[in-house]
Amino acid sequence: MSRYWQLVFILTLAALLTACATQPPAPVEDRSVAEQVRAPAAEQASGLQVYPLRNPAVTELTDAARAAENAGDLDRTTILLERALRIEPRDPELLQYMAEVQLEKGAWDQAENYASRSFDVGPRVGELCQRNWRTIALARERQDRDDAARRARERLAQCQVEVPERF
Amino acid sequence: MTRKKRPARKAKRSRPPRRPWVRRALVGLILFTLGLGAGLLGPWIWWLDREAGLRFADRQFSQSSRVYARALELHDGLHLGANDLVVELEAAGLRAGDARTIGRYSRNGNRFDIHLPGFRFADGDQSAQRVQLELSGQRVRLTGSDGSALVRVPPAEIGSLMPLDERDRTVVALADFPPLLVTGVQAVEDRQFRHHHGLDPRGMVRAAWINLRHGRVTQGGSTITQQLVKNLFLTPDRSFVRKFNEAVMALSLERRFSKGEILEAYLNEVYLGQDGTHAIHGFGRASEYYFGVPVQSLDVAQIALLVGMARGASWYHPVRNPERARARRDQVLAMFLETGLIDQDVHDRSVAANLGVSAASVRRSSRHAGFIDLVRRQLRADYRDRDLRGTGLRIFTTLSPSAQQQAERALRDGLSRVEREDGELQGAIVLAEPSTGELRALVGDRHSGRAGFNRALDARRSVGSVIKPFLYLLALADPQNFTLVTPLEDEALSVPIPGHDPWQPRNHDGTSHGTVPLMEALAMSYNQATVRLGLEIGVAPLLRLMEQLGVVPGTDPHPSVFLGSVSLTPMQVAQLYQPLASEGYSTTLKAISEVVDADGRSIGRYPMRLRPIRDREALSLLDFALRHAVTDGTGRSLSAMLENDPGIRGKTGTTNDRRDAWFVGYTRDWLGVVWVGRDDHAPAGIGGASGAMPVWAELFSSLPLRTYSPGWPEGIEWYWIDWPAPLLARESCEGAVAIPFAAGSQPSELSPCMDEGSRRRPFWRR
Repeated sequence: MSRYWQLVFILTLAALLTACATQPPAPVEDRSVAEQVRAPAAEQASGLQVYPLRNPAVTELTDAARAAENAGDLDRTTILLERALRIEPRDPELLQYMAEVQLEKGAWDQAENYASRSFDVGPRVGELCQRNWRTIALARERQDRDDAARRARERLAQCQVEVPERF
Repeated sequence: MTRKKRPARKAKRSRPPRRPWVRRALVGLILFTLGLGAGLLGPWIWWLDREAGLRFADRQFSQSSRVYARALELHDGLHLGANDLVVELEAAGLRAGDARTIGRYSRNGNRFDIHLPGFRFADGDQSAQRVQLELSGQRVRLTGSDGSALVRVPPAEIGSLMPLDERDRTVVALADFPPLLVTGVQAVEDRQFRHHHGLDPRGMVRAAWINLRHGRVTQGGSTITQQLVKNLFLTPDRSFVRKFNEAVMALSLERRFSKGEILEAYLNEVYLGQDGTHAIHGFGRASEYYFGVPVQSLDVAQIALLVGMARGASWYHPVRNPERARARRDQVLAMFLETGLIDQDVHDRSVAANLGVSAASVRRSSRHAGFIDLVRRQLRADYRDRDLRGTGLRIFTTLSPSAQQQAERALRDGLSRVEREDGELQGAIVLAEPSTGELRALVGDRHSGRAGFNRALDARRSVGSVIKPFLYLLALADPQNFTLVTPLEDEALSVPIPGHDPWQPRNHDGTSHGTVPLMEALAMSYNQATVRLGLEIGVAPLLRLMEQLGVVPGTDPHPSVFLGSVSLTPMQVAQLYQPLASEGYSTTLKAISEVVDADGRSIGRYPMRLRPIRDREALSLLDFALRHAVTDGTGRSLSAMLENDPGIRGKTGTTNDRRDAWFVGYTRDWLGVVWVGRDDHAPAGIGGASGAMPVWAELFSSLPLRTYSPGWPEGIEWYWIDWPAPLLARESCEGAVAIPFAAGSQPSELSPCMDEGSRRRPFWRR
């Protein structure tokens, strides 16, 4: 009897444990040709990079820039943001902030360029992506480049979509 | 004759009626003389008085315009070596010592304790503060600062633009001079200054008596006011008229202005030496010139030395006549002690101190000649010369003193290693920060500090293969026809040139390499494949692209342009590569960030401006190819020269008969251009990899480098390629390489290895 239950127990356990095994990945040969020939980017795509740890110096400069902006001193805001960008030239948040300050200053082309740079190095999806394209669209509208502005609005709509899957 | 007349006079005197006439004539003469005297002297004195008042009131001390390096921002995570930090601090005028004193720093291994002097930055003041930091693995960690996450080191002064009168001074307000300097000057030069009205009769008598006793002029009885008048308004000749003018004007100044105003003017005007052709006036400048510190940071011995020099700056010059200067300083210290300005203890310590001035410590104006040359040119584009000189502008530049020092050293050491005979080669380096376009270093001569021909700005030399990436960029911007794997024929060819013999380009190694992928042709710098590609693209688009990037090549549209027959300066080459190094955002290379007037108002800003290059996908493909050129192409020997490769992209350049050698390479933080060649354009037996790359590696091995991983623009897709055939493969295929493509431009044909793979499938999976 006990040996019978022992056997049942072991079998049940084994059966339960099989469920724990993950599905083995499809062998390379089973994927579609299109998927097979696609290679991952040789270096990590910065498009999906996150910046969890911000340099405290950049934070301090950004805070000071915000204070200057609130005080209506856009020149000083620009100077402080430039100093921050010298420390972190590829920080998408900083670049977008600079784009928005340029927008406030009426420097449409610089607003567009900073926003586009922010998009290039940023997540290309979500909130920052929306700010990027909203800035670009606005800057283009102000320059009466209506077609280009419409394309920017269309791109803005795609920011909500998940980022296209890359391998 | 006299005998005859004498009796006649006596006769006249004896004749009473004629006396009133003589007396009247004499009185008339005296009155006339007095009248004439009053008539002439009165206006003269009146004029002197008025002139002294007016000229003193509108005196504007012409101040030279100061040129500063970029201010180093210290913050956590900053990449910086300990030796570079020392270079930066010393350049900024700080000296090793007790960090309790302003302007001193102490170092204990990798720990630094720094007492930064205050500085008026373009965007606000930073007061003097003490900061502690630690360097670990070339990373800064601030361990003590007054609650701020970043601290700016006051920027190093790297030069000045002199006013037209060549008088160099740093004007300091009376309240900002150290009290000992203000009282000490009075104790030594004019003890009665507080009490007299411009002249000190007692002092004059005493001086006259002493001079009489010594039989020569050893003491001047001039008051500070008289000395000031002499310096400001009069010529230095010794004449009675000048002395008279001086006295009148001194009295006039005292009547019109306060003692404080007069003393402040004196402290800023007194002549204290010569720096080449520039005269150093005032204690503010003298302190910076002789000791490299602001006047507020002077110690007692230094104050005594400078105060002593007021009597004769070249006679008591501390570098040329150190013994005389020391004796004078000690004499001044004794006067300080005698008048109770310092106590015995301070006196004894100061007498024991060295002069603290040497030929090496004295700030030389030619230290950064090459960079200042560029600053002057960039300023001249925006300002009139007379606005730049004499109004005391402060010009903030982008130079990094530590990078500049490394660049100077790299060129010097690198050239002496690659040249065949001593002193044969010359070279130039341009080092910039790609994303901002700010120039960090510029070397135009292997002998740093020599001001002359600035090769970085003025040496137009054939660029050779350094031009090729731009032709390939044009090709890659047409993804329907060209990708990184497009096969090119590297075979001999003959290009007909109207009116000339046909042109037959050859490869550097003299052989042709058959069919090669486009990326390989660039990485290995194959000339014949490049010319074939160029003939499809055309010369005009290449020249147009260069113009778009801010460089006017000014050359005939000859197809040899594809191989770099065009002559450019190292600076122009840096400008061309800047957008490549900054992921497609072009900006003009600049040496100046801001110009501020003497009152601290910003009168010119050179903000960061981005201009996107249209074909950013093509640029990122080119970037990939330039990485390949360094790892597997003509730049592959770099890995042996540089210990740590953070992902360098680069291109070599060699010209006909090995006259010019170039290497252009960039990382995330730096773009460096190196040119090497002979000034007389003679063949130098060098190539890009053998002549210029060692210099570049020498420089980059001493710079703090961060890992470089550029992002990829939208619209780039990666595929496995059966390298070197333009066929799609899979990861498991032997020798398959992942290559980026503009979306949709990847090849469509599959490698045979894909079939082999399916043939090898086990039967149960077929």
